[in-house]
Amino acid sequence: MIFSVLKAAACIAAAATALCAHAAPMGFKDSWMAMGEFGPNWRELYANYALTPRDALGASGLYMRSDDKARTRDLAELTYTRLLARWNQKEAQSNLWFMGGVGTLRGNDFSGNKTMFTPGVQYDYETKRLYFAATARLYRAPGVKHDYVSARAGFSFYEVDYEETQPWLIVEARRMRDLSDKVEITPMLRLINKGYFIEVGVNNSRQARFNFMYIF
Amino acid sequence: MKHLIAIVFAALSLTVGNAYAATQTIKAQVNGMVCAFCAQGIEKKMLSLSQTKEVYVDLKNGVVAVELKEGQTLTHDAVKGVITDAGYEVAKIQTVPETAKQIRAAAQAKK
Repeated sequence: MIFSVLKAAACIAAAATALCAHAAPMGFKDSWMAMGEFGPNWRELYANYALTPRDALGASGLYMRSDDKARTRDLAELTYTRLLARWNQKEAQSNLWFMGGVGTLRGNDFSGNKTMFTPGVQYDYETKRLYFAATARLYRAPGVKHDYVSARAGFSFYEVDYEETQPWLIVEARRMRDLSDKVEITPMLRLINKGYFIEVGVNNSRQARFNFMYIF
Repeated sequence: MKHLIAIVFAALSLTVGNAYAATQTIKAQVNGMVCAFCAQGIEKKMLSLSQTKEVYVDLKNGVVAVELKEGQTLTHDAVKGVITDAGYEVAKIQTVPETAKQIRAAAQAKK
């Protein structure tokens, strides 16, 4: 029951982990941010509320599947995001984030629920034309270690005005321990507008991926 | 006829002069503003202030211009506070007599 409630909340909320590598994993103070990531082996919905300019609380629902499609995981968690440090420069911004969560994990290869903890950090650096981010996050529960690392880098094709949509080419490399034996590489087209943020791509397993972010 | 033209001209000058004098825009040079998606917080917060008439965000030049409603005032510290809360740093701030539209037009003319 608790799991269902958490999962339902998370569906409204949704997609933290991998999405945290896209851009800032929270919006401005008093705003809601919703994020989603969709692919065959990884589906996530996440939302958080920025209590302060540096702190956000949220809920996330995550489905993961192994490369051989044999094992699945469902995680519903409550999350906390903290901006640890930010460096604003004239033409650039970089950030250091903490993201963490605690929730309930279910899997098709074990019975019952397990409590999972997901602490992680992210560093990102961005100019109007370049982007880089590195994320590391632990997914730990009794008998489960699905630790996750990712790196993203890319560039925009040109600068735009505030009201215009900016296209980017981003390449992501990521790996999740135990569920996958290989590094997933995904080139993505990213479109950033003042109202939305979306990414579409196809990974090295020829699987389509779609990500979005929206701030209310 | 000459008198009529002079009166109309004087009236127009007075009107334009008053409008010019009434316009107050706070213009800030902002560090770290590199992405429209993230900068939307500044625009939304500024527009939520009762004193704000119009906001112009110039991403390319890192400028935020907040035009105030006639007769309204807003301190530089208040504008700085909103920008800082949105996650950015104000490098320079000043009050200028141009409207937000005029600042936008000037920025676009430079391209």
